[in-house]
Amino acid sequence: MIQLLRIEWLKIRSYKTFWILLGAFIILFPVTYYFSASKYMETIDNRSQESTMINAILGAPFVFPKVWHSAAWFGGLFFLLLGMLFILLITNEVQYRTHRQNIIDGWSRTDFILAKTSVMICFILLSTLLVFLSGLMVGLVFTPSSSSTGLFEGIKYVGYFALMATEYLMLAFLVAILIKRTGLAIIIYFTSVCIIDNLLWILLTLKDSQLGYFVLLEPSDSLVPNPFKPSMLEKRKVSDTSLLLTALAYIGSFGYIILGSFRRSDLKT
Amino acid sequence: MSILSVIGISKNYGPIKALHDVSFEVPQGSVFGILGPNGSGKTTLLGIITDVLKASSGNYLWLGKQGSHEQRKQIGTLLETPNFYPYLSGTDNLAVAAAIKGRGANDIDRVLEMVNLFQRRKSRFNTYSLGMKQRLAIASTLLGNPDILVFDEPTNGLDPAGIAEIRQLIKELNRQGKTIIMASHILDEVEKVCTHVAILQKGVLKTVGTVEQILLGTQGENGQTINIASDDLAKLEAIVREMPGVSSVRITDGVIEITTNNSIDPAQINRYCFEKGVVLNSLSLKRKSLETSFLEITGKKSDR
Repeated sequence: MIQLLRIEWLKIRSYKTFWILLGAFIILFPVTYYFSASKYMETIDNRSQESTMINAILGAPFVFPKVWHSAAWFGGLFFLLLGMLFILLITNEVQYRTHRQNIIDGWSRTDFILAKTSVMICFILLSTLLVFLSGLMVGLVFTPSSSSTGLFEGIKYVGYFALMATEYLMLAFLVAILIKRTGLAIIIYFTSVCIIDNLLWILLTLKDSQLGYFVLLEPSDSLVPNPFKPSMLEKRKVSDTSLLLTALAYIGSFGYIILGSFRRSDLKT
Repeated sequence: MSILSVIGISKNYGPIKALHDVSFEVPQGSVFGILGPNGSGKTTLLGIITDVLKASSGNYLWLGKQGSHEQRKQIGTLLETPNFYPYLSGTDNLAVAAAIKGRGANDIDRVLEMVNLFQRRKSRFNTYSLGMKQRLAIASTLLGNPDILVFDEPTNGLDPAGIAEIRQLIKELNRQGKTIIMASHILDEVEKVCTHVAILQKGVLKTVGTVEQILLGTQGENGQTINIASDDLAKLEAIVREMPGVSSVRITDGVIEITTNNSIDPAQINRYCFEKGVVLNSLSLKRKSLETSFLEITGKKSDR
C-alpha cells in the first residue's frame, strides 16, 4: 500500500489543481473557523443580556468541550473541496487513459483501487489532523482560564469528522468510478450531497419519522449536527451507535460496488 | 513453448461480435503481426491479452501460464494511443511506469536515448508532437529491457524517417531475441518487419502462419505472375497464348503479364519463346506482395 501511495505521489506532485484545491482547504477552513470564533466571542464579550442568553442556548461552541464539535462541523463545510479533488484525481485517469496504462504496465485492477484508497486515507488523516489542530487552537485561545473542562472532553467529534470524511470520499470515489466523466461526476456528486441527500432527509423525517437519519450521508452528517442549532430543536432520537454502524455499512457497500465494478468492467474512456 | 497462446477468444458488445473464437500461438523469437482492416478486432484482441478488456469467452496464456498482472510487468506494451499524464515531463511519466513495473528509475535515460527523446526529457508531455508522444510510448515499453513486446500500430503519427527508425528498432530488438507482437493495418509494414502474421477480418481469424506461408498459400491457389517483353510484343503475345499452362495474358505498360500454373518456371518460358523465334528482352517473376495475398484472403470491397 505504501508503494502504491508512492506511485500516486509521483502522479500528483506536479498537478497544479491538486495543490490549489488542497491549499484552499488547508487555508480556508482554519482561517474561516478562527475568524468565526473570534467574531462570536467578541459578540459574547458585550455581556449584553441577549448575547449571554444566546451563548447559554448554544452552549459556547468555541470553548472546550464544544469546540471539538464546532471544529468538526466547520471542517465538514469545507470538505467538499477535497471530495471534488478526489473525483478529479480519478476521472483524470480515465480522461488521460492512464487507468488503462497502469493496468497494462502491471497493476492489477485491485492495485488501482487500493492506490486511490491510499490517497483517500491521506486526505482523511490530513483533514482530521487539521480539524484537531484548529479545534485545539481555537479552544486554547477562547476558553476562559477559569474553565475546569478537560482539554479532550468531547474529542469524539474529531472521530465523527473522520467518519464523515470517509463516507463523503467513498461516495466521491463511487461516483467517479461509475460516471467516469469529470464534469458530470462533479455535478452528480454535488447534487447528491447538497440537494438529494437533504431532500430525502426532509421527506423521511416528516411526521416525527427517524428514517431520514439513515439516508446516504445523513448518518455521518447527523453525528456532527449544526453546533449553532439549539439542542431543544434537535429531533433525532436514534443513537450515535446506530448512526455510526449505518455509516460504516454505507462505506462498506460503496467499497464493494467500487471494487466489483472496476474489476469486472472493460477499461474504456 | 509458445510465448502467447490465444485460445478461442470471443468478445461481444451486445449483438456485435468484435471477436469470434480466435485461436493462435505466438512462437518465441518471432515478430508476430496481427493484420486487419480498421475495426477488424486487432486492438480488442490486444486489449484482452493486456487485461484492459474482458473476453466474453475463451482464454489466453503467457508462457503457458494464466495471464496475470505480475506477468504484465515483464511485458512492454503500447496499446492504441500513448497514454500519459499531460502535466508531467517525459522523465516523470516514465518514472510512474517504471515504478508500476517494479523497475528502478535508472533505466529511464537509456530508453529515452533509444527513441531519440533524451533532449526533450524534461518537457511536459502535452508539449510533445504526435510523433514524440509515440516515441515516449515506445520508450516506456522498453523499460527494464523486457523479452516480450506488444505494439499496437507502433508507427502511428511518425514521419517517414521516424517510421524507418522504429521499424529498424523492432528488427534490432527481434535480433536480440525478443518476441514482438504487433498489430497493424499497414500491409507494407507487416511484410517488412514481421516473420509471422495472423489476418483478422470482422473479428474472425482468416489465416495464420509465417509470412512466407501466407504468400505461398495464396500463390498456390491462384498461380504465379510473370512479366515478359520483346521487341515484337504482338508476336510474343500470340505465341504465349498458345503455350500450355498459361491461363491469362494481358499487355500492360509495354510488357506482357502472364499468369501461369505453378508447374511452369521462368526458364521454361524463355526457352519456349526462343524456340518459337522470339528473343525476350525482359523476364521477371512477379513476387506476390502481402497486399495481394491480403486482398485475396479478405476480399476487395472497401468495407472488408
